[in-house]
Amino acid sequence: MKVFSSFFLYAGLATLALGPAGCGGGSDSGGGDEARYAYVTNGVDPFWTIAESGVRAAAADLQVHADVLMPAAGAVEQKSMLEDLMTRGTTGIAVSPIDAANQTDFLNQVAEQTILITHDSDAPDSNRRIYIGMDNYDAGRECGKLVKEALPDGGSIMILIGRMEQDNARRRRQGVIDELLDRSHDPSRFDPPGSQIAGEKFTILGTLTDQFDRAKAKANAEDTLARNPDISGMVGLFAYNPPLILEALEQAGRLKEVKVIAFDEADRTLQGIVDGDVYGTVVQNPYLYGYRSIEVLKAIHEGGETGADENGFINIEARKIKKDNVEAFWADLKKNLGKE
Amino acid sequence: MGKRFPGVRALNDVSLKLDKGEVLAVLGENGAGKSTLMKILAGVQAADEGEVFMEGKPVEIAGVNDALEQGIALIHQELNMATNLSVGANIFLGREPRKRGLIDETALLEKAKRYLEMVGLEVDPQEILGNLALGRQQLVEIAKALSVKARVLIMDEPTSSLSQNETETLFGVIKDLRGRGVSIIYISHRLGEAKELADRVMVLRDGENAGDLAKEEIDHDAMVRLMVGREISEFYSRTIHEPGEVALEVRRLRTSAHPEHELNFSLRAGEVVGMAGLVGAGRTEMLAALFGVAPLRGGEIYLRGAKADLQSPNDAIRCGLALVPEDRKLQGLILEMTVRQNLGLAILKQESPYGLFLNEVREGEISRQMMAQMQIKTPSSRQVVRYLSGGNQQKVVLGKWLALEPRVLLLDEPTRGIDVGAKQEIYGLMEDLAARGVAILFVSSEMEEVLGMSDRVLVMHEGRLTGELPRDRLSEEAVMQLAIGNTRAA
Amino acid sequence: MKLTAFGDIFPKLSGAQSEGVKRIFGIFLLLLVVYVATAILNPNFIGPYNQENLIRRTSLFGIMGIGVALVIITGGIDLSLGSVVCLVGVGVPWLIMDQGWPPWLALIVALAVPLLIGLCHGLLVTKLRLQPFIVTLCGLLIYRGVTRGFTGDQTAGFGNELKGLRWIANGEIPLFPGFGIPFPAIILIVIAILAGIFLNRTIYGRYLLALGNNEEAARFSGINTDRMITLAYVICSGLAGLAGLLFVLDLNLAQPVDFGNFYELYAIAAAVLGGCSLRGGSGTILGVIIGTALLRVLRNMMNMAFLGFQRAEFAVIGAVILGGVIADELAKRAVARKLSAQKDRERRSKQERLPPN
Repeated sequence: MKVFSSFFLYAGLATLALGPAGCGGGSDSGGGDEARYAYVTNGVDPFWTIAESGVRAAAADLQVHADVLMPAAGAVEQKSMLEDLMTRGTTGIAVSPIDAANQTDFLNQVAEQTILITHDSDAPDSNRRIYIGMDNYDAGRECGKLVKEALPDGGSIMILIGRMEQDNARRRRQGVIDELLDRSHDPSRFDPPGSQIAGEKFTILGTLTDQFDRAKAKANAEDTLARNPDISGMVGLFAYNPPLILEALEQAGRLKEVKVIAFDEADRTLQGIVDGDVYGTVVQNPYLYGYRSIEVLKAIHEGGETGADENGFINIEARKIKKDNVEAFWADLKKNLGKE
Repeated sequence: MGKRFPGVRALNDVSLKLDKGEVLAVLGENGAGKSTLMKILAGVQAADEGEVFMEGKPVEIAGVNDALEQGIALIHQELNMATNLSVGANIFLGREPRKRGLIDETALLEKAKRYLEMVGLEVDPQEILGNLALGRQQLVEIAKALSVKARVLIMDEPTSSLSQNETETLFGVIKDLRGRGVSIIYISHRLGEAKELADRVMVLRDGENAGDLAKEEIDHDAMVRLMVGREISEFYSRTIHEPGEVALEVRRLRTSAHPEHELNFSLRAGEVVGMAGLVGAGRTEMLAALFGVAPLRGGEIYLRGAKADLQSPNDAIRCGLALVPEDRKLQGLILEMTVRQNLGLAILKQESPYGLFLNEVREGEISRQMMAQMQIKTPSSRQVVRYLSGGNQQKVVLGKWLALEPRVLLLDEPTRGIDVGAKQEIYGLMEDLAARGVAILFVSSEMEEVLGMSDRVLVMHEGRLTGELPRDRLSEEAVMQLAIGNTRAA
Repeated sequence: MKLTAFGDIFPKLSGAQSEGVKRIFGIFLLLLVVYVATAILNPNFIGPYNQENLIRRTSLFGIMGIGVALVIITGGIDLSLGSVVCLVGVGVPWLIMDQGWPPWLALIVALAVPLLIGLCHGLLVTKLRLQPFIVTLCGLLIYRGVTRGFTGDQTAGFGNELKGLRWIANGEIPLFPGFGIPFPAIILIVIAILAGIFLNRTIYGRYLLALGNNEEAARFSGINTDRMITLAYVICSGLAGLAGLLFVLDLNLAQPVDFGNFYELYAIAAAVLGGCSLRGGSGTILGVIIGTALLRVLRNMMNMAFLGFQRAEFAVIGAVILGGVIADELAKRAVARKLSAQKDRERRSKQERLPPN
């Protein structure tokens, strides 16, 4: 019985173990400026490491103080991070909301107390000042175009993704589907993830989520191959999905046979493009997300110009990386990460 | 007031009649069905057939609460209380006096005190129950039964862990209750108690009525005859041997329970030494320290003249010691394992190839040999020990140690809670072992047993050895005087 | 007599163990039902590729399950498995790729550190008498935190290096075209056989079962219970470390923040499904493997046959486990009732034969 009565303790502390990452990773290059800015991500990922270096660079260039916070345990932890920031007193916050639809009220509270902008993933119904990022629906459609290029005769594809609760994930996936089915431009459309959707040339077999469990993500790719041996392509929409798709294909001996279309810029994905195992990937520019976030926060604080459109949107365009431009992109990426 | 139960499974067509203000002793070997019968009466188990009449009216007892409503309270054989709660809380568990929906602590303590006085127990009702000695906990349970205003009180082996003093207090309480018209069903293995207390004796054998004895018919032999169904001529059969050389000598031994006292005594080969004393006198702790289970605070142990360093039970076993502990279920047996595995547990290592692998062949041989030698009654050596009767379980514990052929055998309450037949078999074994030169030291709270089995008796009182009585000076009176710390009288 | 059939088939097992065998039988039936049902729903399920995948996943998770089963048999629990998987899984590629250690040295460290962790757990549980739940819960927090600290929360992987080493996790021994035995299965079988021998054929296995049932009585019987319990924790953490190594070799990437997250619960669930009692004293290695396989097949089933219900996956798994445990308990009671009815009949017939005296 002792074992069970302690379970709640376990559950509570287990969540704690996944606790905040990168706290206090601020740069103290601030001059006389008392302003403190915070950059809150939606998780822990190499993607955010790139963004972090953008934040650092901006803080150094603009002589301000900026913290980067990465919640590891989902929306609950992100919320408590934001609460702590408000308690501590922060001039401005840039956040990538994990669950925008349900966080609206809370985000409005934050917006009342401090300057709130969103990056990477938007919270369109909230009172955030500005959204810095790309339109994930458009990026998804770009990704869909890559699929069309890779499979000119069409075929069946499976979409693999971490989770569907995030606005950006949802839109990104919908963009891919709409592009493949040649539908009109409508980001509000939503196809339920379990159903098979058949268009003229393409059939979307389904969407598999893994809730960030890497072994599960690989198992999803494997199970897809087992269930649909004649599948033509697999689309990995979170950064770690394409590498694990490649692992599964390699073990099954089906590299190059099943087309892989990727999202984001994991090393293995870029190497796959170099080797011809991945047709192409759509990349965001996390470095600019970070850099521009701090820049914009400072501009709002000091009453300057932000450069946003009438919807408060600052577009940082997604790029398509294929064999022809992968080398140059990779070199640039390494430079931004300070690896070379 | 009458009750009848024909055709229960463990019981077959048993009838029982109890008059108001009567003390009925229910006797029987273990497995005779006494406990089952009582559990049915108290609503713990359901009867398959049969009826219960209270004062001529049929009543239905479907659960413990029904029984309590009828004024039937059971005091369990094994303590059944929340040891982490206070004494007072235990007495009123589930029936706490309340004020505005909350527990009325003041009233509870006051009432608890009254019932504790009735059983002659001087403890603070706020004391945590688990801090009390086992014997005193039992008195608390009796106080609890009194608090429900029971008309019928069922006591299942109430004295099995009580000291002489506490037993006498209890007897006083029982007689007092009888005088107030409470009927009492008293279950015991101790024939002497039945004789002292009972107005009538009812004997169960194999789940059936074996016979009744009216007050004037109650005597030791008649009861035993009914219980085992045969004549028992000699209960304690001791042949006195000339003791051999000193097998065990203890010098200035101090235990962590009573570090202020030093113990000195010795034990000779072929000698059976009883160790008497009240519950809590420190006898169990002394055995545990000897065997390396509890830490020694000081002193030296010599085995056949050589100094021994006993840090763990393993060391003790290697030096030829064996301990049959007080609580066979907690300390003696792996209940979920088989007879065979339990018998082999201590000797496994000795018989193991490379000190690593199980020697199943030897395990089988040893268990066969021990089952025969100990006359363990079990359908198979692969029977799980949990399902054996208390007596047979105790024989398994003994067998485990005898397989190692110890030179010094320490027994802690070796016959506690086991039936007459098994008791006698264990006495026989002790006798045989002594004849083969094993030195035996046994702790017992049963006076009859101490007097009957010992060549010599050591008596302890509050952690101190108060005296030693050779067989020719043994008497109940002498032992009791030493046990209560009166050294001059002995 | 039918009721004792299991006892006759496995005559050498102890009471607790033969009880375990009956449980294995039930869980094996459940596995079979799920297996056959999925195969009917989607014939691709029984394809050699999917079978290989299932065997590999069962092997990786099964190694952890065996370790935790030994601890559960002592009456303890180990909640730190997932974090040990993370420590080793992230630590090895980090040491080799980021720190430039030679692979052999990294591997030695990767296998030695978990053993030390297990030793600490064991000593804290036996010498300081701390509750295993708390000790390993703190372990869960510490090892993940430490991993996140030294890697700076960076994903670690081997890139295109160490293909040879990675073969032990993702390689296979070809049997016939299109199907081979995944190498981790060989590792699991070796470990399972060793663990089986340890548990059933050595005195130390017997000691473990005995002390799990009654530590005090085991101590009174001259068994060094502290040492045995510590040993169980050492083996458990060691196997978790091995599993962590195999996981990262298979996946080729490990993320400090959530690599191996909740794997301890999969391992514990598999052990309990396989007949280990959380009260200690009973359990079989075969049962743990079947329990692991059931969990893996269930997850695979969701992908193969119920794609639209993926979100309900945990609910389905939970329900199946609960159903299995309930069915097992009901079956046990039915057997107990039959046994007592049989005893009753025997008693009656005996009485009829004997004339009343």
